[in-house]
Amino acid sequence: MKLLNKTLRLYIVYAALILLIAVPVFYFAIKNIVIEDVDESMMAQKSALIKKLEMQTNGAQLYPEINSTDFELKLLASYSKFDTFFITYKYDSISKEILPYRTMKTNVLIQTKPYSMTLRSSLIDTEDLIERICLITGLLSLLIIVGLFFITRYISRKVWHPFYSTLNLLHTFRVDKDETLQLPNTEISEFSDLNQTITKLATTNMAVFKSQKEFTENASHEMQTPLAVFQSKVELLMQTNPLTSEQAALITEAEQAVQRMNKLNKTLLLLAKIDNNQFSETETIVLEALIRQLLAQYAGAIAEKNIAVDSAEMDNSSITVNRYLLEVLIGNLLTNSIRYNINSGSIKISITNKRLFVSNTGLQTPLDTSKLFHRFQKQNTSNSSSGLGLALVKQICDLYNATVNYDFKEVNHIFSVDFNSSVT
Amino acid sequence: MKILIIEDEKELSKGIISYLKEESYVCEIASDFKMAIEKTESFDYDCILLDISLPGGNGLNILKELKANKKSDGVIIISAKDSIDDRIEGLNYGADDYLAKPFHLSELSARIAAVIRRRRFDGNSKMVINEISIDTFAKIINVNNCRLELTKKEYDLLLYLVTNKNRVISKNAIAAHISGDDADMFDSFDFIYAHIKNIKKKLAASGCSDYIKSVYGIGYRFDV
Repeated sequence: MKLLNKTLRLYIVYAALILLIAVPVFYFAIKNIVIEDVDESMMAQKSALIKKLEMQTNGAQLYPEINSTDFELKLLASYSKFDTFFITYKYDSISKEILPYRTMKTNVLIQTKPYSMTLRSSLIDTEDLIERICLITGLLSLLIIVGLFFITRYISRKVWHPFYSTLNLLHTFRVDKDETLQLPNTEISEFSDLNQTITKLATTNMAVFKSQKEFTENASHEMQTPLAVFQSKVELLMQTNPLTSEQAALITEAEQAVQRMNKLNKTLLLLAKIDNNQFSETETIVLEALIRQLLAQYAGAIAEKNIAVDSAEMDNSSITVNRYLLEVLIGNLLTNSIRYNINSGSIKISITNKRLFVSNTGLQTPLDTSKLFHRFQKQNTSNSSSGLGLALVKQICDLYNATVNYDFKEVNHIFSVDFNSSVT
Repeated sequence: MKILIIEDEKELSKGIISYLKEESYVCEIASDFKMAIEKTESFDYDCILLDISLPGGNGLNILKELKANKKSDGVIIISAKDSIDDRIEGLNYGADDYLAKPFHLSELSARIAAVIRRRRFDGNSKMVINEISIDTFAKIINVNNCRLELTKKEYDLLLYLVTNKNRVISKNAIAAHISGDDADMFDSFDFIYAHIKNIKKKLAASGCSDYIKSVYGIGYRFDV
């Protein structure tokens, strides 16, 4: 949930609650006040009426200033003190509505005779008044709340604007890219503080990342010389005389190890160089031409395993990338498809619309896709596998915004590379 | 033949000298920039092995000095850097060859031999080993004065074995020599065996002695 909505939601819930409670409470409070008022005026009216009736001789007929429907006087057998107020509803033939009346029933003595007196006062006007007051108050409150809502939102937006622009910039920030993080200046000290802290953090991170990249490259470079010494000594060891078969076997194994180390080091160096953007030169390359060239290079290995290569479905897609990296990328996919193939297996290579598919027979089970493209993840126990080949493929694809995928269909391992979103 | 090894890693220079002792080379070592400049200024060498990163300076400056003084020493750069740019830079400064570390001593030996052959001024591009004569300019091999029909790879391989004669060349070194960078992509050395078998067959057919020996599982040696 957005920060803004979170604050506003609280406001709205509070305002709605207040509105829901306040309006009825307000309504009843006013109604009570009004009724009290009506009651008081009816008491006053009663006193006035009694006074007037006292002076008349024929009490039952004479009540000139009051509407006969609102006044009743009944002779009682005996007098007892009685006073009551209540609300009655009566049908009004003029407005054709049932209207509320405040009714006072009281026992009085007029000219020493006991009477039951009933006084009615229409509440229709007061009811209307209360309703209007409530309506106006409600509307006003609503207006205030809505106004507050928009003002708060506006202020929040304005206040949080630097925060959101920082957030947007952070979204696009990549520690492995060379662009430094440029956060906007803001007058709000908290955000200015935040921006400064983030900028500092980003700078430190970039420096750490850079030094790590440089470390890999430097380490690989430094490794070359001792490797060269090691290799030369192994070669000299081969020249020693006499050489027994036991020694020869040991030397061969040592040489294989140094070769692997050498290859590993070269691949690490290549990964580091890709990280460091050292392959900026690009050219437009027709994929088919490159694949044919690579297949010709691997012809020996393909023939050795008696692998059938189907490369009929290739269109003339071309992409603009670094030639060396593309050779490494496709070379790795092709050599994998040869190396992990079975004898008399098959390879199918196709290109459609900048999409390359390399599918080959091999293991009967699909590869574990979760870590397939991670560094040093070996899918088999082959000694000669560095576990870096597919990581290299992934890294080159990432560099050019291409996507690489693995699929297993009908006992075929399918690697596909889609160059469509790559910047060319 | 005088060779100067400009390399700060003493173990490596020792190894190179040890491997090259089969040839009639006189090898000298310069282990830092100053010593290298002194030596190259005072003497002429047939071939200089030049490391780029040296204590005291950049090896490329030695190359520049040589060219400025119009010296014609052959130069092979041996460097830990192996990017295309580094190679182009080195060759642009006038190096004859570029070999990235780590390298096979047999490969280095073959490259030195090639540089020396190219710089030989008497126009004699022939190497003779008993009944075998190799014209490295025309890329023709004769056995008992009869032309030996070899494929390009077979010629390369035989020349490689001959220039490293009496030394064991590992299968890895042969694979790297023949296939370049692709060599380490496949585990199989069967194609080397096939090439060697063909060469031996062709040599035997022209009445040549069997010089190529298989040494246990390691590799091959051209025994003279």
